[in-house]
Amino acid sequence: MSGMRVDVKVVMLGKESVGKTSLVERYVHHRFLVGPYQNTIGAAFVAKQIQVGEKCITLGIWDTAGSERYEAMSRMYYRGARAAVVCYDLTDKRSFERASFWVKELKTNEELCQIYLCGTKKDLIANDRHLRQIDYHDAQDFAEEIGAQHFETSSKTGNNIDELFQKIGEDYMSSEMELMPAEEPGVDLNQKKNSYFYSCCLSN
Amino acid sequence: MSRRTERRGIHVDQSDLLCKKGCGYYGNAAWQGLCSKCWREEYQQVRQKQIQDDWALAEKLQREEEAAYASIQGAQSQSHSAAATSQQPQAHASLTPFSKFEEKKTNEKTRKVTTVKKFFSPSSRTAAKKESQEGKTPSPSIGRDAGFDTDQVSKDFMDFLKNLQKPGRDIHKQCRAFLISLSNKKHDLGADELSECVQDFYQNLADRLIGHFKVSSESVEQVMDQVEKYIMTRLYKSVFCPETTDDEKKDLATQNRIRALHWVTIQMLCVSFDEEIPEVSENVVKAITDIIEMDSKRVPRDKLGCITRCSKHIFSAIRITKKEPASADDFLPALIYIVLKANPPRLQSNIQYITRFCIPSRLMTGEDGYYFTNLCCAAAFIEKLDAQSLNLSPEEFERYMSGQASSRFSSSNGDVTDSASGSDAMPSNPVLVQLNRNLDMLSDLSTRQEALNEAAAKLQADLLSWTENVKREVNDILERYPLQVPSRTVSAIDTNNIENNLPPPLTPEVFAG
Repeated sequence: MSGMRVDVKVVMLGKESVGKTSLVERYVHHRFLVGPYQNTIGAAFVAKQIQVGEKCITLGIWDTAGSERYEAMSRMYYRGARAAVVCYDLTDKRSFERASFWVKELKTNEELCQIYLCGTKKDLIANDRHLRQIDYHDAQDFAEEIGAQHFETSSKTGNNIDELFQKIGEDYMSSEMELMPAEEPGVDLNQKKNSYFYSCCLSN
Repeated sequence: MSRRTERRGIHVDQSDLLCKKGCGYYGNAAWQGLCSKCWREEYQQVRQKQIQDDWALAEKLQREEEAAYASIQGAQSQSHSAAATSQQPQAHASLTPFSKFEEKKTNEKTRKVTTVKKFFSPSSRTAAKKESQEGKTPSPSIGRDAGFDTDQVSKDFMDFLKNLQKPGRDIHKQCRAFLISLSNKKHDLGADELSECVQDFYQNLADRLIGHFKVSSESVEQVMDQVEKYIMTRLYKSVFCPETTDDEKKDLATQNRIRALHWVTIQMLCVSFDEEIPEVSENVVKAITDIIEMDSKRVPRDKLGCITRCSKHIFSAIRITKKEPASADDFLPALIYIVLKANPPRLQSNIQYITRFCIPSRLMTGEDGYYFTNLCCAAAFIEKLDAQSLNLSPEEFERYMSGQASSRFSSSNGDVTDSASGSDAMPSNPVLVQLNRNLDMLSDLSTRQEALNEAAAKLQADLLSWTENVKREVNDILERYPLQVPSRTVSAIDTNNIENNLPPPLTPEVFAG
């Protein structure tokens, strides 16, 4: 049933260099780039089609600038988002504090937005346990408290990343089902012509 | 408007107050500096012409639309002939009051004009007039907003709808009805209410297509794109930066703000551009051009297209500089920098216009929506920009803002210490570097030119003296060796001949006859 086009706005939030872009890059292109500029890989906007059950939905993933100087503007980015991936660095306590700031913002401003708390750089602590600064259970408790999902991911190995975005898609579909009952498929106006030139990745 | 604000200055020259035509009376800024009498004369002329032009255009548009509509009708005439008859008289009615203008015009126009005249034959006029009161003459106000490209847009729209058959006719009817109802009440509505009207219309039409005609959501999107294009091209002039809002004031404020921030550098914003690389500066220029071009578009979607193109150029510039694809952390500061450099015309108005009249789904999802959000952020950042957001101390920021400190080399700066330090230090702005390089080159050229001139003058003198010298030498030589023609000596052979062997010369013989 590809006739229905569904767009879900997913916004990435998190402090600079927690690896928001790497996460997206890994998810969309299945690669991890190493180099001196690790915090700058990937593009800022990507659209990715995923299959949830029988439906095909498009995740429009919005990367945001994490610097504190743009903090006042972050509300513009997450307006209307159905999912927010709030990232923190498992090895950086400050980034977790910042993450809770965004969580608070989202809770007050965007009720419809489902929050996904995401600890990044899991591969670093797999090598050296002492690097971990945020306890798994602390984060888990925090997530439960705010009604969020919690994930720990590694963009280097790809651990847990597909699961994260798949979960976003599933949650979206189930919330949509609650909102409105299944509708009949529409009739294509241009059936005689080839009308599918609106691909999901190019909506300009 | 800008003229008025300029005039608000404290020092007003007496001559500024007088009528520009020089009639001696006082002028008024509201009358473009003319006195009331001159203004009325001027205005009347311009207005008359404007009205005539508008009518010719409105008429042409109307005809084309009706023709296109009729051709749809012709295809399935059986059921919808009623709709056609109800539409056509309306069209005639709207044109009636202007038939005089049309008649005044010289008949250099061919067939078209004559057919229009036929419409206004006396018999039809009375009936049409009556209807015009009922119909509230809808099309003039629509036609007045028409620009040169409106004809093309409505023609495209008709062509598009033709393919849709039954829903197409419905869409056409809905759009016309909407434009008419809006043109009747647009003077009473504020910008937000207008926006609401348009958004409601989009929503209702989309719902109707899905609910009533069972159109798939993809096709609906296509249709809505066309509808947006058609409607917004028509409405643009009356709803862009309307007088009921303070958009214009905000535009000016932003413009002045950006001018005041001329000193902000790439380094302060942490932008990863290396403008020394030609490809990068090329992309920067393209990005600036695109963002400025936004103001010239009418349809929200086209404006978004400009923003997206601008963003793509920024991405390429970052990618070339860093040799890596860019992320949002690079992109937003770069966009801010581009906006500061470009100072796009009517930035706030454009943002407001897009927010108010764009199809909402496009702003919430998709690439265009993403870049538009970034532009809004950039505008908001510039508005609120302070010392902290540039990593400067408040004192430094103040000095920059007041013009005491300058991040760029400027020879015209009155401040002694600054100009001194400025000339010592290597100017950071690449344009100024280029400027200095060019100046050096020019002064070098001028010294060389002087040398050349001198050499040329010397050559000329040399040439003159050379001929003199040659002449003198020749004369000298002539004097020294005067020409001696030796006295003629008769050779031995000749003497012999004369004395001995030669016969005496012939003498004419005279024959006595």
